Formats: sequence, structure tokens, C-alpha cells
Amino acid sequence: MEHTSTHPAADARTFILFSVAGTTYAAPSRQVRHIEMVDEVTAVPNAPPYIDGVVFSRGEVVPVVNLRARFGFERCPRDIRARLLVVEADGRVVGLMADEAREFITIPETAVQPPNASISGLSGNYIEGIATLNDRIVLILDVQDVIGAAPRAA
Amino acid sequence: MSTPEQPADFAGRFMEDYFAECEEHLIAVRRGLLALESAIGQPDPPAAIVEELFRSFHSLKGISAMVELHDAERLAHELESCLRAIRERETVLSAEALDALVGGVDVLEQVIAARRSNGQALSIAEPLDRLAGVSRTARPATALGATPPPAADGQMWKVTFTPSADLVARGIKVDTIRGRLMQAGQIQSVAPRVTGGGIAFDFQVIATRGDAFASWRDDGIEAELISDAVAVAPPELTAPHARGERPGGLSFDSPLGQTNFVRVDLARLDDLMRLVGDLVVSRARLEDALLRVERFTPAPEWRTLQEHSESIERHLRDLREGVMRVRLVPVGEMFRRVPFVVRDLARDNGKRIQLDLAGQATAIDKFLVERMLDPLLHLVRNAVSHGIESPEQRIADGKRPEGTIRLAASTVGESVMLEISDDGRGMDGAAIGRRAREKGIDVPDGALDARVLLDVISAPGFSTRDAADRVSGRGVGMSVVRDTIQDLGGTLSLETTPGQGTTFRITLPLTLAITDALIVHVADRVFAVPQSAVREVAEVDAATIHVIENNELMTHRAAALPVVRLARLFGIAESPRPRLHVIVVGTGSAAVGLLVDRIAGQREIVVKTLNDPLVKVTGVSGATELGDGRLVVILEPGALTRKLRGHPAVRAAV
Repeated sequence: MEHTSTHPAADARTFILFSVAGTTYAAPSRQVRHIEMVDEVTAVPNAPPYIDGVVFSRGEVVPVVNLRARFGFERCPRDIRARLLVVEADGRVVGLMADEAREFITIPETAVQPPNASISGLSGNYIEGIATLNDRIVLILDVQDVIGAAPRAA
Repeated sequence: MSTPEQPADFAGRFMEDYFAECEEHLIAVRRGLLALESAIGQPDPPAAIVEELFRSFHSLKGISAMVELHDAERLAHELESCLRAIRERETVLSAEALDALVGGVDVLEQVIAARRSNGQALSIAEPLDRLAGVSRTARPATALGATPPPAADGQMWKVTFTPSADLVARGIKVDTIRGRLMQAGQIQSVAPRVTGGGIAFDFQVIATRGDAFASWRDDGIEAELISDAVAVAPPELTAPHARGERPGGLSFDSPLGQTNFVRVDLARLDDLMRLVGDLVVSRARLEDALLRVERFTPAPEWRTLQEHSESIERHLRDLREGVMRVRLVPVGEMFRRVPFVVRDLARDNGKRIQLDLAGQATAIDKFLVERMLDPLLHLVRNAVSHGIESPEQRIADGKRPEGTIRLAASTVGESVMLEISDDGRGMDGAAIGRRAREKGIDVPDGALDARVLLDVISAPGFSTRDAADRVSGRGVGMSVVRDTIQDLGGTLSLETTPGQGTTFRITLPLTLAITDALIVHVADRVFAVPQSAVREVAEVDAATIHVIENNELMTHRAAALPVVRLARLFGIAESPRPRLHVIVVGTGSAAVGLLVDRIAGQREIVVKTLNDPLVKVTGVSGATELGDGRLVVILEPGALTRKLRGHPAVRAAV
């Protein structure tokens, strides 16, 4: 990423902040390839329910995970603020559809605590930590987990 | 070639080929040795790596012998012996053994480099000693497997082949001769020799029917009997000679010219193919734009534009074809490992097997070679361990004690066909059905036909052997074989006759990247259907579709054809239409009609495979961009209709 100007301290990591259903999440910036607007997603028949389909992004076919559906919220129509975070993990490239995504921030390790067991809801399965920034609570996403394929029905 | 090439030039190129080939093998060897490092001390180092190393050393030995670089030959020979000892578990891969191997490879590399730069000869005594130390801890090498090399004794002949432009024109090259000699007997050595007018190859061959050589005089062959009645044990460390197999040695087309090959990184060819793909998409955009402006453009101008566009299309097809051809390699590359596998397995299982390889020159995309190797080896292993009976059993059944496994490749139109057949016991449908039921796989009652049998043995969880078995121990089961073939856009079929044998037939597209497809519409969705999968298309009146129980049928060519609505299959809301289009896929009893709203046309598409597990869905093979930046899903009718037939074994796999 080209965000070298922020000079993060050794014990801090950089993140992209995005929101899904009113909650703020953070994805480690080194796993985010780029963020883009999407006008049309091509549905893939019989794909898992939280998959919107595929898009063509920079010469590649990228599956699109609908984070609302993945986190157990109701889907809602995309508006102009919707953004696709194209992430890379385990050698795979996957798009995460978020309601909006804007900020790039540095979070010191001291501000991060492990996920609290009392945080319930589906997204709790994909959270690697909780960060407190001033008054804001940010859930740090485990990208590997969220793009992990659902076990194939056998 | 109008003028014969100067011998010196030829020898130079010959050496260049040798160095290039060495480089390839040495790269593979380094990679292999690195991978072996993690297996130090393990009783069972990864067989694939050991096999690959063994093969590389064997090739290095062979090609070094051909250029008479004997130091390299001896080193490669010792390295090969070590690997054999490790492979046969006669010696454990210790840290010292690996050191000796790495040291040996270092010196081997230096010996080759020294020859290349005409530098000082090195002493190879020390590394040879160390390597010999490793293989000496081993028991003496066991005899070759149950596949005795043909003609283990006979007469020793010196056969000299002098290539000429004439012979090349008739398709007779040194490889041809080598093939013939291997049929006739056993090649002991071969050495090129520069003669007054060109080059000649001296083969030493042990053959029982040397009289055949005389009849080859017109093919540039001189044969001379050196000694009568030699009984020679198989050379100590020779790879098995499969019939018709060309060993992985130095390969060049014609000794009198055309040796100017260029080695190209496959990634660069991929780049080229991608660029051609981009051009195809741009051309499609151009055509769309042309159609849109047609009514605003004066006819003569429009026609000129149209002509230019069409000529671009033609050139583009030629270009695509040209790039595709560059990627093609002989399928023999893929067959090269088969003799090793067959020999080892036959020995382990106490079987006698003759391996026939046919159509090795058939061209196939390099990418397919890499992807298909494991599935192919799996089918071959199955043929050895499940197909061919023991010699005793075969004799009892009135068959020859030696079973035959045949691998054949051929080009059929835009496809490559691979056949793996054996003359063994065939599949026992009842036993397979029983076993499948035990494993919890649904199997229809009654006799299983070949297609159902294939579905059953390809169902995940079905394996006729324990998973820890060395044979199937590489994690490739029939389900993976079939998935791989389907991912590559190919098909797999099975023929089996009890008591007579089994044939697997694989059909693969020549190349994957670009194909012709029908563009179909279903409600507001668009799909692409590869032309290769479509047998027929027709328009149908919705009123003529009959519903019988839960099935829909239409009459087509005076027969009932089951049809399925793509919309229902994909859960797309459909609106009733008076007329529909039907795409017929499959033949005979497997024929199914896919109903779509309409077929919008046919076009060339650039296939992007959908490999991510999130979107790997049965019946969808990939996606393509039609020129407007939006993607269209490419359907795989074969898999769709299999799924549709709702065969339980298939349903379990979905």
C-alpha cells in the first residue's frame, strides 16, 4: 500500500475502516488490495447465500461476499456509498461488500483487546479483536475467517 | 534445407541443446533437494519428489552420455543410484546423504559449466566416493520389476544411422530410429560422431532379430554384427523400456537443421494469450459499437467499416491459433513418468504388465499436461492394482500371464482424447454397488451401467482401497480425477466389460483460454454455453412441452427428449413465454434439452475459470467478460445435466 507517510509505530498496525449495518469494522490494510465502487455484480447460480456473485476487477474474476448476509443481517439495496474491499488472503482474492468504506487509520496494539465472549452475533465469529479509539469501538476483522468457504455439503 | 549445415555448427547447436536441457533438469533437481530437506530422517520421504529427482538424474545421465561428457554421466549415475536406494527404502535419507547429494549436484553443475566454457576439468573422485558411500549402505539393487525389458539377450549389433535431408523429409529422424531400435532390442549406448559430410549416430544394440536392420538400409541405417549370442543382464540402472517409449533424453527434431528452438517461459506465453484475449474482447466491443451506429451511417461507409472489422476478426483468429500452437507440447511429456509408476507398482503387486504408449506426438496445451499428470497417474495406478489380475489368475482365465495397459492420445477436432485401457478383469458392478452402499452412498437398484458406475466410483468418499495404501496415498481419488477433468472443461467416460477390461476415456479441449460459446438469456440473466458442449439448438413452442409426473418432455426428432428450464434450475423468477429455445446436450439416453428464453447469438469468449471455493459450483465452469466490463457466467452443460438427472451419487457430490 502507498500509505507510508503515516509512519506507523512498530507496535501499531494500519487498517481500513468500513461499516456494515451501522457497526464499524477494520480490515488490516496489508490484506486490502484496493477499494472500488461496484455497479453490477453477476450472480452465480447455486452459490452460497452470502455470495452476491462475481465481478471483474482489474482483469480478474473476483467473488463478492455480502458482509451483511455473512454477518447475519438483512440485505439491503446497495446505494452509492457501498464499496467493495478487494482483499487478499491465503493466495485468494475476494471482494467484501460493505455499506461504506472511507478511512485509513493506524491503531496501536495497546488499543486492541481480544474479542469479548459477550459479543454475540454472527460477526463475532470473524472478529480477531476489539479496538477502542477515543469513543469509538471498532471490530477488527479476521479476513481469513470471513472468506473461509462454508464446508461443502457432502 | 538447401545446403547441409556445417558439422561444426551442428555440433555447437547440439551442445546448446544439451546445456539448455541440463539447466532445466538442474533447476528441477535443486527444487527437489530443497523439498527433501524437510524429510530428513523420515523413513518415507515424499515419493513424488524422490521420483522426480530420480527421473532428472536419469535424464542427465542419458544426455551426458550422448555428448560424451563422461564425468557428468558418472556423477549423474551415482546420484541416480542414491535416489534409487532412497526410493526403494534401502537407505534412510540422512543429513549426510542429503549433503552428499547436494555436493554431488554442485560438482555436476560445475562439470557441465566447465564443458560449456571449455574450462578446466574438475576432479569428481571425492563426490563420487561420498555418493557411493550413501548407496553402499543399501542392499544391492533389486532386479527390475515385473516388466522385463524386451530382448534381454541376443546379438550385439552396431547400428549406424546417418541422417540426411531426404530422410528428414520422409519423417525419419534420429528419434524415429531410436524408437525402432527400442522395439527391436535394447539400446546399450549411443554416440554421435562427426563425419566428413555431416553427422552419424552409432548405436550399440542387443537384438534377437537383427535381420530386420538390413531392411532399413534405405532409411540411412548400416548394421554390423559385433558379437553373437550375448546374454546381457539388463544394464544395472536402466529405466524400464516401455514399448514405443522415447526416454526423456535429448530431443531435437532434425539433426540437419531446424534445431533453432527457443525455450520460452510458460508465463510469457500466458501473457501473450491474455493479450490476445484482451484483443478478442476489444474486437467484440468494436462490433457492438458498429451495430449501434449502423442506422446512422451511410451504407457504403458502414460496409467499409464492417469489412475492416471482419478482417480484424480473421486475423485475430489466426493470431489466437498461432499463440495456442506455441503452447502445445507432445503428450509424451505427460506419459514419461508412467513407465516408472507401472514398473514399481507391478513389482509391488506381483503382476506382469506390458505398457503400450500410443500417440505420444499428439499436441496438448502445456497447462493441461501439468494439471492432468496426477489424474492420469491415478487411472494408471488403478489399472495396475485393480484392473490387471495376477499372472496366476490370468492363466486360469485363459489369458496371457502378462497384462496390457495401453495409453493412447489422439486429436479429435478441437479436442484431445486420452484413453487409458487395460485388458484386466473389468469392473464388478455388483461389488462396487455393495461397497458404495456400505459407505453410505446412494446407489440405484439393479444392474449399474457404465455411466452410473462412473458416478459411483467418482463420488466423494468412495475408495476401493484404504486411504493409507501406497497406491492411493497421494490424495488423488476418482472424485478428484473427475473434478479436475471437469474444471478443465473436459469429460470422462468409462467402458468396462467383465473379464475383458476397462477403458477410461478423457476428452479435453485443446486449449482453455478462448472458446466459442452461445450467449443465452433467461429472464434478465445472461449465460454463456460453450459450443463444444452443444449438440443442437432449436426453437420450441411452449405448448408442446408435456408434463409427465414431475418431468417435462418434448418431442424432438420423433423421440421424447427430457427438458429442464434453466430458470427453475437456478431459481430465477420466470415469466411465461410462448416460444422458447432449447439447447440439446448429451447423446442417446443421456440427451437433455436445456430451455432458455432465447439464444442471443454465438461469439468467441475468453474463459476465466472460477476457482475460488466460494463460487465453485456444479454446472458453472467460469466467467467471461463480453466487452462491457460486466461478467457472464459460463455454464458447463455436462455437469448441469448430470446433476439434473439427480443421480444419488452425483447429488451427494454437489
